[in-house]
Amino acid sequence: MLLKSLDHIFWLGRYLERLDDTARLINATSHLLIDSHKDSQFSWSLLLDVLGQNSVELLSQLPASDLTLEQQVMGFLITDASSQVSIRAACSALKQNARTVRQLIPRDMWEELNSLDLFLQEHCQQLQGRQHRYKLMTEVSRRCQMVVGVLDGTMLRSDAFDLFNIGRHLERADMTTRIMDVMVLQQLQPTDIKRPRFRWTSILNALGGVESYHYYLAHQNTEVDAVDYLLTYADFPRSIAYCLHRVAASAKALPHGAAILQRVWQLQDLLKTQNLAELTTGQLHQLIDQLQTGIIELHQVISTPSIEFSSELSQQMSA
Amino acid sequence: MGAKSFGHYQQISQCFDELVQADGQIRPPAAAIARFIDRHGSAELIQRQEQLNQTISAMGVCFTLYSDGNNIDRCWPLDVMPRTIPSSEWQKTSAGLKQRLAALNLFIDDLYHDQRILKDGIVPADLVLDSRNYLAPCKGISPRYGVWANICGTDLVRDGSGQFLVLEDNLRVPSGVSYMLENRTVMKRVFPELFADSFIYPVDDYPHQLWRMLASLSPRPGDVPCIVLLTPGVYNSAYFEHSFLAQQMGVELAENTDLLVQDDIVYLKTLHGLQRVDVIYRRVDDVFIDPQAFRPDSVLGIPGLIKAWAKGNVSIANAPGSGVADDKVIYAYVPQIINYYLGEQPLIDNVPTYLCLDPKQRDYVLANLDQLVVKPANESGGYGILIGPRSTKAEQQQMAEAIKANPRNFIAQPTLALSTAPTLCDGVLEPRHLDLRPFILQGRDLYCTTGGLSRVALKKGSLVVNSSQGGGSKDTWIINDEV
Repeated sequence: MLLKSLDHIFWLGRYLERLDDTARLINATSHLLIDSHKDSQFSWSLLLDVLGQNSVELLSQLPASDLTLEQQVMGFLITDASSQVSIRAACSALKQNARTVRQLIPRDMWEELNSLDLFLQEHCQQLQGRQHRYKLMTEVSRRCQMVVGVLDGTMLRSDAFDLFNIGRHLERADMTTRIMDVMVLQQLQPTDIKRPRFRWTSILNALGGVESYHYYLAHQNTEVDAVDYLLTYADFPRSIAYCLHRVAASAKALPHGAAILQRVWQLQDLLKTQNLAELTTGQLHQLIDQLQTGIIELHQVISTPSIEFSSELSQQMSA
Repeated sequence: MGAKSFGHYQQISQCFDELVQADGQIRPPAAAIARFIDRHGSAELIQRQEQLNQTISAMGVCFTLYSDGNNIDRCWPLDVMPRTIPSSEWQKTSAGLKQRLAALNLFIDDLYHDQRILKDGIVPADLVLDSRNYLAPCKGISPRYGVWANICGTDLVRDGSGQFLVLEDNLRVPSGVSYMLENRTVMKRVFPELFADSFIYPVDDYPHQLWRMLASLSPRPGDVPCIVLLTPGVYNSAYFEHSFLAQQMGVELAENTDLLVQDDIVYLKTLHGLQRVDVIYRRVDDVFIDPQAFRPDSVLGIPGLIKAWAKGNVSIANAPGSGVADDKVIYAYVPQIINYYLGEQPLIDNVPTYLCLDPKQRDYVLANLDQLVVKPANESGGYGILIGPRSTKAEQQQMAEAIKANPRNFIAQPTLALSTAPTLCDGVLEPRHLDLRPFILQGRDLYCTTGGLSRVALKKGSLVVNSSQGGGSKDTWIINDEV
C-alpha cells in the first residue's frame, strides 16, 4: 500500500463511524428530549457541544428566523454542508477519501458508499419533521452498517483493512468520551466528594447499549454505573476499553505498530490503575480529559509513521 | 420480423444501420433485442433506461468535466439499446487491428533506430523528425520485444456500405476501456433475460489481459512484478478509469510524488518503505513524465525516470515517444507502413485522407472546405475540428488561414456517412451516429478486446461522439453467428 493512502483509508474509517455515531446521537437525544418536559436541564444545543462545537456562539450568530431551536440545531447537524459536524459534511468527506483510495476498496463496498452518498444527497437537503427524521437517521445508520458488513465480507485482510478498522474504533472511542464529557459530566459539577452513583441510562441509547448495560449491571459483584460501563466494560463494543483493544489488535502488523501499541497501552493503563468507584467527580473530569488528549495523540502516531526513504534503504531493498 | 419492432424507426438514407438492414429487416444479431421489444413494448424499454441510469449512478460510473474552472462529476451516459456485431465480422476486424498495431510498433522502433522507412522514402523524413511527438532522447532505446505502443485505442467507423474504416490510432494514453467494462456490467444487471437468450461474448477479461501484458514487460522476469498505474491525480478527467483499472488489476495507483528514482532504479513509497517498480502503466502524457528529460516545467514528472527506463531498469507503457505514430498526418501513411514492414495489405482501410502539406491536396482542401472534415494533426477529444457541411463561412475562413499558416498541421477527410444505431431519444428510437473504439494490447503477445467502446452522438445529426461534448455510449455485443 502507498504511504500516501494511509491517511485516506484511516479517515475513511473515521468518517464512516462519525456518520453512524452522529445519526445515533441525533435519534437518541431526540427520544430523550421528546420524553422530558420543558423543565429539563438539557436542550437541543447540547448536541452541538457533544460534537465539539461552541453552541452558544454558533446559535448566537444565526440570523433571526422562525425556526425553533430544535430545527436550528438539526440544520447544523444534518443539512448544513458547511457545518463541520453535519451528516452531509461527514458524507462528502467520506466520499472524497473513498475516491482517493478506490483502488484499495472492494467493488461492492464502493457501490455501498456510493449509494449512501446518493441517499444522503437526496434526503438530507431539507429539514424534516421529527418522525421523518427518525426514519432518516435510522436509515443512515443502517447504511453505514451495510458498508462495514460488505467490507468485512469482501476486503482483503491488509494494511488498508487494518487502518480502516483503526479509524473506526478510534472515532468511536472519541465519540464515547465526548458523550460522557458532555452528557454525563456536565451534570456532575466537579467537586472533591466521591461521585454519586450515576444511573441515568437514557444516553446509552445513543450508543445502542441499553440492553447490554442491564446485562452488565446484572453480572457485576460491585456496584457499578454507566461511567464504569462506558470506560471499562471490554465486552461492550462501544466502550473505551473495547475500542482500544481493537485498535491494538489491528495495529500489530503495521510498520509503526509498536509505536501505536505503546500509546494504546498508556491509555489502557490509565483506565486500569484507577479505582473508578473511588474517584471524585473532579478526578473523573480529569480522567476524561486525559483520555481525549490521549486519543488525539494516538491519531497523530497512527497518521505519521516515521518512514525514511533514504538511499541506504533503497540500496538495501534493491540488493 | 420487420423494423416495426423498433416502432416507427426511420433510418437515415445512405447510412449503414447497425441493427436494421436497408430493407427494414432486423439484422440477425439484433433478433433477440427486437423480440424483447415486440414482447414488452417500448414502455418497458423506457423503464429499463431509467433503471439503467439508476444503476450507473449507484455504481458511481462517472466522468469528470471541466467547467468554469471547476471539476464536475457527471454520470456516464449509456443508451439502453445495445449495438450488435456478428462474431464472424469481428474476427476479421480484430485481425486487422492487431496487424495495424504490430506494424505501427515496427514503425516506431525503426524511427528510433535505423530509420529505414525514412531512408527508403516511404514516409517523408521531415514529417517525422520535425514532429513534436518525435522525442529525440528516445533514440537508440529498445523497449522489451521492440514494442513501444503497448496499449492502443483505435477508432473505427463504418462508411455508407457498412465497411469498417480506421478513423484514428490513439497511441498515447487512450482512455475509455473502463466504460466498455462498466457498460457491460450495467447491461447484465438491467437485461439479464437478453444475456440468457443470446450468445454474447464476454468482455471482462480485459483487466487480466492488461495485467498479463504489463507483467510481460517486467525487466526482472521470474520475480513477481511490481506494476503501478501512474495517474496525474484525482482531478484528472479520466481519474475514474485510472482508479477502476488499478482496482481491477490489483496494482497500485500512484502519482508522481509516490515514486522516486535512485541510482537509476524506480521506487514506490509504500507504507513499508521503498519498493522497486518494474512496470509503469502511465496515464500521463510522455513529455510530462520526467522534467529532466523533456519539460523542465512539468510538475507531474518523476526526475530521472527516463534514464532509468533507457537503462532498461523499468518498463513504461506506452513507451515515451510512441506518440510519434499517433499523428493524423502519419496516419495517412499507415497503409504503406503495414505493407513496408509486414509485406501485407491492410485488413482494414483508412478513411480517405488529404494531406495539407502536399500543395495539390491542400488546394483541393481549401477549395472544398464546406464539404470536408478538417482536423489538426495533434489534438484529441474532438477539439479543433471543422465539419465542413455544418460550419459557417467565417469558420471556414478561419480554418483556411490556419491551414495556410501551418499546412503540416492539418489533414482533411470527406464527410462520412457514419453508421447509425437505434438510440432511445426522448422515449422514441431514433438513429444516431456512432463509432467504435476497440483496445489492442501488445507485449509478448497481441490481444484485442471483444468489441470495444461504442460512442454515440446523442444530438440529432451530430457526428461528435466525445463524452466531453455531449456524446453517449452503447454496450457493444459481439454475437456468435458461427455456431
